[in-house]
Amino acid sequence: MTITMVKAPAVSISGLTVAYKTDAGELPAVSQVDLELAAGTITGLVGESGSGKSTLALSLLGAVQKPGRVTAGSVVVDGIGDMAKLAGEELRTVRGAKIGYVFQAAQNSLNPLKTVGKQLLDLGKAHKVRDLKGLLRHAKDLLDRMGLNADRVLDAYQHELSGGMRQRVGIMFALVLNAHVLVLDEPTTALDMITQANILQIVRDVHKEQGLTTLVVTHDVGVVAEVAHKIAVMYGGRIVEHGPVTQVLAEPRHPYTRGLIHAIPRLTGDISAAKALPGTPPTLGTIPKQGCVFRERCALRMEVCETVEPPAQRMLDGRTVACHAVKEGAA
Amino acid sequence: MMTGFARRLAGHLTRGLVMIWVVTTFTFVLIRLMPGDPVQVQIERNIAMGMPPDQAEAAAAVTYGFVPHGPMWKQYLEYMGGILRFDLGVSVESQGVPVADRVLGAMPWTVVLVLTGILVSFLIGVVLGVIAAIKRSTVVGHSLSIAGSLLHGVPPFVIGIILAALFTRQWRLFPSGGVYNADEVAPGLYFDFIGNVLYHAALPAAAYALATYGGWLLAMRSSVASVLGDDFLLAAELRGLTSLTRFRYLARNAILPLFTVLAISFGLVFGGSIFIERIFNYPGLGMLLFSSIGSRDYSMMSGAFLMITVAVIVANILADLLYSAIDPRVRRQA
Ligand SMILES: Nc1ncnc2c1ncn2[C@@H]1O[C@H](COP(=O)(O)OP(=O)(O)OP(=O)(O)O)[C@@H](O)[C@H]1O
Ligand SMILES: [Mg+2]
Repeated sequence: MTITMVKAPAVSISGLTVAYKTDAGELPAVSQVDLELAAGTITGLVGESGSGKSTLALSLLGAVQKPGRVTAGSVVVDGIGDMAKLAGEELRTVRGAKIGYVFQAAQNSLNPLKTVGKQLLDLGKAHKVRDLKGLLRHAKDLLDRMGLNADRVLDAYQHELSGGMRQRVGIMFALVLNAHVLVLDEPTTALDMITQANILQIVRDVHKEQGLTTLVVTHDVGVVAEVAHKIAVMYGGRIVEHGPVTQVLAEPRHPYTRGLIHAIPRLTGDISAAKALPGTPPTLGTIPKQGCVFRERCALRMEVCETVEPPAQRMLDGRTVACHAVKEGAA
Repeated sequence: MMTGFARRLAGHLTRGLVMIWVVTTFTFVLIRLMPGDPVQVQIERNIAMGMPPDQAEAAAAVTYGFVPHGPMWKQYLEYMGGILRFDLGVSVESQGVPVADRVLGAMPWTVVLVLTGILVSFLIGVVLGVIAAIKRSTVVGHSLSIAGSLLHGVPPFVIGIILAALFTRQWRLFPSGGVYNADEVAPGLYFDFIGNVLYHAALPAAAYALATYGGWLLAMRSSVASVLGDDFLLAAELRGLTSLTRFRYLARNAILPLFTVLAISFGLVFGGSIFIERIFNYPGLGMLLFSSIGSRDYSMMSGAFLMITVAVIVANILADLLYSAIDPRVRRQA
């Protein structure tokens, strides 16, 4: 096994807006997002259901599904180009080979009528891999390292694998062609605690061994705390806070981030202090057209929040926060 | 791996035998216990024509395969024993011709007809159904769905009558009856003969196909639409699989549920062959059944019933085999 030490690429998302066509017109699910995934880092993307996490993750592969489309902005991956502009064969060959995507474990990301091994060969042929035996060896090696019986797994159908096994098979598929960008959408949702910890350990290990730039999408701040270097908090299609995990979790600045973290006792260590965020997150149709998207649930709501969308401000410690109530220096 | 199939095969065979038992018992009740008992009628008619009573009874015994005399359960056992030996008696109508010979002679033609009809209908319906699903928000998709529902529900025999009127009377493009032209070809496994057989089966098969393709179209369309929403196809797209491979994944998963229906439809079409074969004057099992009903030829009728039952059972087994060949979840039951 040769470990090819290609430098992990950086991904820079700027001004990205993704809108879905609905009966009420074309509504943005991701709005004016600027986000930098530094080369070699793991970024955790958190937010409540419907905040636009999956939409953002899919746009990294130029794969926003109909009736959605990228209406503005770019997703530039080092060495590849703008994913929002790539199309046809060029786009197809980048997917899988350069950027790997891993589905939620409970979802069925495998063809139920073919063995894992056969689908691996389909993958190899689609990407014109000449050395299919070598591909098989690489797959076995990855599966072995993730603690699976490789031969058994390659000969298995999806229904013969558990959720945790499927998840590892998904990671193997995403990495077997030596992709250097890895996107995991809800990698541990629907898994039990032990398997969850196991998968996160694996994500951390392969990230380091393979030299990756990784994006982990989750609604569980705990998952981010466990694996990520950076955290990006999403609300109503916006990134409201983005920065190093340790700093953001220790001292959240945006009122939404604070609410999110205080809702989890195991992070604050104080069950009595844990309280759920009041209200419910907006849906596509109810995201405010102007002003701050979070103001309805915000304790720091001010006059300016009604009309002016807060810009992302860079703080001294390197994080960005989009809130009118947060001023540099103040905690 | 094999045990799962063997167990299901055993199930099919058991159900099949029960079905055969029910059908044959039913025909026995029909010919022996119903008012206007045809066995008695035949004996009396022969006596009226001057035959001595014991000779008339012996003739009836040859016809039906049991001596119509003594306790009923004995007659029943004798009748069932005959069926086990595939001795189905002789035809009432054409005296001396064994029912088994006629039934077995007619059988292959109906199989040819039903198989061509279903195959053509299935292929057309499935292909159009896939297109209708993939292009569902376009004019093509909408027109296909309408085309699918249009003839859906019209009985095959109505379409048969129209086709026969148009293509055998109005324009004499197709033969007006028979299974092949004995003046032109001799039976055998060669191109001209098979072509001739298909030429004769074309119209009646087309009648089935036209009446039933819409059902396949609509079923396939909804099956494809549901598989299109499955995550594994998006996953395949995100892995950069070619569109051809993704289409194969889609088609195979979508067609699977249709195979169970295929078996049922085989039975229905086989049973429905009575009208179609009559309309096209096609001497298969259906035609045989039709003419035997017309002439109250009860021994022939029960033979035809039995044969149709057997065909349906065999179709079920074949469909199951096909199904398990492509669905690993069935093939590899734990
Ligand atoms: N195909 C679609 N058509 C219309 N609206 C869509 C579609 N897919 C997503 N949306 C909307 O876009 C918004 C963002 O959806 P997205 O799936 O990105 O959220 P998410 O953060 O991943 O949520 P979850 O945690 O539930 O997975 C939601 O309001 C959703 O209703
Ligand atoms: Mg999601």
